[in-house]
Parts: sequence; structure tokens; C-alpha cells
Amino acid sequence: MILECSDLERALRTPELMPDIRAHAEQCTACREQLYLWSEISRLAPGLHQEWESPFLWQRIQANLAAEPVRRGSGLRPQWWRWALAATGTVVLAAAMLQPMWQTRRSAKPADRELLTESALQEVQQAEKAYARSIEKLSAVATQKLESSSLPVAAAYREKLTLLDAEIAELNAAVDSNRYNTYLRMELAALYRQKQQTLQEWLNNANHNH
Amino acid sequence: MVEASLAPLIHPLPATEYANETELLAACHRREIRAFEQVYMAHGARLKSIAWQILGNRSDAEDAVQETFLKFYRGIEGFHGQASIGTWLCRILINASYDAARKRKREVESGTEEPPASKNQLPLRVALDDALRRIHPRHRMVFLLFEVEGFRHAEIAAILEVPEGTSKAWLFEAKKELKRMLTETRR
Repeated sequence: MILECSDLERALRTPELMPDIRAHAEQCTACREQLYLWSEISRLAPGLHQEWESPFLWQRIQANLAAEPVRRGSGLRPQWWRWALAATGTVVLAAAMLQPMWQTRRSAKPADRELLTESALQEVQQAEKAYARSIEKLSAVATQKLESSSLPVAAAYREKLTLLDAEIAELNAAVDSNRYNTYLRMELAALYRQKQQTLQEWLNNANHNH
Repeated sequence: MVEASLAPLIHPLPATEYANETELLAACHRREIRAFEQVYMAHGARLKSIAWQILGNRSDAEDAVQETFLKFYRGIEGFHGQASIGTWLCRILINASYDAARKRKREVESGTEEPPASKNQLPLRVALDDALRRIHPRHRMVFLLFEVEGFRHAEIAAILEVPEGTSKAWLFEAKKELKRMLTETRR
């Protein structure tokens, strides 16, 4: 196809017409100049990308994120608490279904129902205690490094851990007075999980910088 | 039963690596700072460059990136991988940068910091940089994302919330405007 100067814009929009407009440009200085500029714009553009070192930017961001207030009920629930909740739910459901049968046997075995519920609760409590103990061990290691650190993010981590500890203490008190409340127990587990993550992040961070 | 399912949780979390974006996003949802660090490592440089193009100086660009990560962290619950993390961050960054630019304009009317001039810069490269500041902001943004930062039209469409065809049309307009300005400069 033979193209003219007036076809230039149409050709630039249509890749199939480019060979024809290039053929025209061989004879036309003005169009040759326009095609040259068109391709130079794309060739030079990547050179406008700006790149520079920002050695402290991530640390600033990290300190900001670490200082973000603890969000109760945010994020994903720890997987094991889903299991714990499911187990508790199953127990409750089973208890409800078996209730008529127990009622008929109540005279014979009056303590069965309480024993079943109590044993499920004890199982959850034991798991909680073991989990809390493991986090306290981690805490002992991390706190030592945290107290002696001069890193800028250390203050943010200290502040976040103090907040978490306060929330954990508050929820522990609430759980003690309402032992069968699964929602409170889930919230408590989420806080422990956040504390574990915070401690591990801090330890990783401290190891990176020393 | 419960104790058995507890075991994986008590073990230390994996150090830093997340095999793919799904895992990375899941870790971000759990608010693991290491995951956000990995996101920063992957996208930080490009975000800084885009912010610089809007704000014109490094300090403000870094502030915009910082603000972007804070907003990303706060809003992570609402993000479920409907776009890529890079696309999502870029959208936050552009909004944060324009907010910062507006705020700065209100506070003080001052010129932007010019990029460090290299002695071997070609005149056309300088002219292009200058012309780019004068074209329509929408066209400029598409040009920057596509030609400078290497995003695809589908990604730009997601970032700017416009149809892909619009992104292509704006890119064409940007190049046409730039070509016209460069032609005038060379005369």
C-alpha cells in the first residue's frame, strides 16, 4: 500500500501499516524525522526510571508497621484454634443430641454430662497453657535482646509487646471469669499468636542487624 | 487431639521466603512483617521511581512509599488477590503521591527538585524529560507506567481503574503529544 504524509498518524496507530509508512519515509525527510522521534521516545523512556539507595527506608516502614495498634480479631485465625473451636462445637452438638439419653440415665449416672464437658474444656486449657509456655520461653530470649538493643525499631517492638501483654492480661482475666466462652478464648489465642509473630520478627530483625 | 494440631504453631515460623504470591499474601494477612519486607524488596524500587515522577524529589517519594506500605498494612483485610500485590500497591502509591503533591502545593509553591544531571545525557533525553512534565497528567501517568516502569496495559488498567483500551489510547496520545513537543524543540 502506498502511504502519504497524511497517513502518518493512522500508521502509528496501526502496526500493520508501519512497513508502508517506513517505505514512504525513505523518500520523505519530515516523516522520517517523525518516525525517528516516535521510536526514540520509547527507546529513551526506560532511562527516566529513577533508582537510588534508601538504606533506612525499610527500617522506617518496619518501625511504622510494628507500631500499628494491635487489632483484635483482625487477620486470619490460627489454624489450631479452628480445630479447637470445631472440637468444642462437636462436643456441644453431641451433648445436645445425647441429652435425652442422659436424662433417662441421669438417676443412674448423674455426673456423666458434667464430666464430658469438663474434659473437653480441660483439653483446650491444657493446649492453651502449653502454647502460652512456649511463647513465654521465646519471650525470655527476645526480651533480653530487646532491652539491650539500640536499634531504632526496638522501641516500636517494646511498645507493641507492652500493648499485647496488657491485652493478654485483660483477656486472661475475662476468660477466668467466663471459662466456657469460646469467643474470648479465640481472641486470646489470636493475641498470643500476634505476640509470637512479633517476638520472632524482632529476633529475626536483631539477628539481621548484628 | 487439640495438642497435636497445636504443634506446627509452636515451631518457629519459616524465615522469609514465600514461594508464591498466594503464600505471600496469606502471610501479609497474618501481618507477618517479614512478608511485608519481601513485598518491599520486590516492589520498593519501582514504587520509589513512580512516586519520584509525581513528586519530583526523593524525600517526598520515600515518604509516599512509606505511606503506601502503611495503608497496605492497614487495608490488607480488604485485599484478597483481586489484582497482583504490585498493581494494588501502585494504585495506593499513586493516590498517596497525588495527595502529598496537593498538600505540598497548598503549603508552599515551589519548583521540583530536578533529577541529577548526568554529563553525558543526550539533549533528546533531557527534552523528553521536560516534555513529559508538560503533557496531560493522565497521558503522562500511562506513559510512565508503560514505557518507563514496564507495566502491561492490563495492569495499568487495573491500577488506574480504566478499560485496557483507554490505557492504550492514552499511551498513544502521550506519545503524540511528546512527539509534537520534541519536534518543536528540534526546530
